Amino acid sequence: MLEFTGENEMEQSREELWDYFTDTDVLAECAPGCKEMTLESSYEIDAVMAVGVGSVKPEFDVDVVVTRADYPEALEMKAVGHAPRNEFETTAEMNLVENEDGGTTVEWSATADVSGTIASLGGRALKSVTNRLVGKFFSCMQEKAEEGVEAESELEAAPADEDVALESDEDVALESDD
Amino acid sequence: MKPAPFTHHRPETVPEVLELLEELEDAELLAGNQSLGIVMANRLATPDHLVDLNGVDDLAGVEVTDDEVRIGAMTTHRTLERSDRLAERLPMLPEAAEQIAGPSVRNQGTIGGSIGEADPAGNYPTALLALGGSLTLRSLEETRTVPVSDYFIAYMFTDLREGELIESVSVPTDPFPPERTGMTFLELKPAAQTWPTVSAATSVRVAEPGADEPVVEDVRIALANAADVPLRVEDAESIVEGEPLSADTLEEVAATVTDAVDPEGEMHADREYKEEVAGEYAKRSLETSYERARTDQC
Repeated sequence: MLEFTGENEMEQSREELWDYFTDTDVLAECAPGCKEMTLESSYEIDAVMAVGVGSVKPEFDVDVVVTRADYPEALEMKAVGHAPRNEFETTAEMNLVENEDGGTTVEWSATADVSGTIASLGGRALKSVTNRLVGKFFSCMQEKAEEGVEAESELEAAPADEDVALESDEDVALESDD
Repeated sequence: MKPAPFTHHRPETVPEVLELLEELEDAELLAGNQSLGIVMANRLATPDHLVDLNGVDDLAGVEVTDDEVRIGAMTTHRTLERSDRLAERLPMLPEAAEQIAGPSVRNQGTIGGSIGEADPAGNYPTALLALGGSLTLRSLEETRTVPVSDYFIAYMFTDLREGELIESVSVPTDPFPPERTGMTFLELKPAAQTWPTVSAATSVRVAEPGADEPVVEDVRIALANAADVPLRVEDAESIVEGEPLSADTLEEVAATVTDAVDPEGEMHADREYKEEVAGEYAKRSLETSYERARTDQC
């Protein structure tokens, strides 16, 4: 299990930022390695992402479910990604904290289970690259907000009983092992 | 293991390479094949196509003009190690080249391959950072020049875009007049054929080489394998500039470098040890560079 945390200072207010973080068109442009992003429902996203380190860069089919969306403070998502010989499962959480100057501190954290060829690169490579990619993601978001690109909040939390949608693949695998 | 099946392409010109990169899905460039083959054999990378650069003669060679040295990406470590003109103008590069692994790797491996792989322990990335070099990156659409300091982004992660080829490396020679510059590439490694634990690349330019205690005008200090990217330590550089190199400033450099580095522990060298070695090697290599600068021995 890999754990990542970080903080990014942004100039906009959290109300303003919320629309950007919950607009899939903006997310698609800023998410590193994102090739496609489709909004399946108000809480489900399908994406294709090519992320990797060096010559190891598998293309993942990613299913995302929004598990928490408390306007304008907290957003939590779970994602499962499948690529040939690679898999990951992650829970990412973001807290938007109001600053005195009107800006926002974005506190984020994620835990990830990675398996396959990507995992054999080790935590060192993955952390280094993840930190860089996350930094890039936030500066892209900041840029969009500064440019005043139009953004519309599209995401809300999944109903409590929908939480299972993501786990289906793994559950099947686990069950068959039993 | 054997690699997953792939198609091998062997273009002969740069435009042919760029066309292939544009047209093929999931292609990797193959330079000297001293790393990628291993990665592929372990199925860590499974590209569908390999675009082999070994037939592209235009990409190899060292060119020395009045104000810069330009090295083609497919120039081998062996060629750099044995280049007399480089030894005269930028001796750090042959010194970095001759310390890479063993002869078979040096005969095949290339500077472009090393920069493309971007292992933070690699010799050229750090040497080129210390020398303030830049890379010429070319795709079908554009040719752009990227300073080495901007190119390495994270562990084995670079600014190279899809469809882009590293064409050459350039180093301005202006800051390094041979008669009053000294440079060194110093590495610590447990065995000749393996990766270094830590390396230090330094250069020193003095004002008056003949003086008793020549004043340092310009100094560059860069470390390999001491962070997730090649690391230049400008805080340590400013300690040295403007006065003669002394035992005190050297100690201060070592302490500053030890603080600045952010290495990951390895099996044979934990974090603390690597921090200490980084400081010590920065210091030792500076001493050598200074000695070479003042004695007219580049």
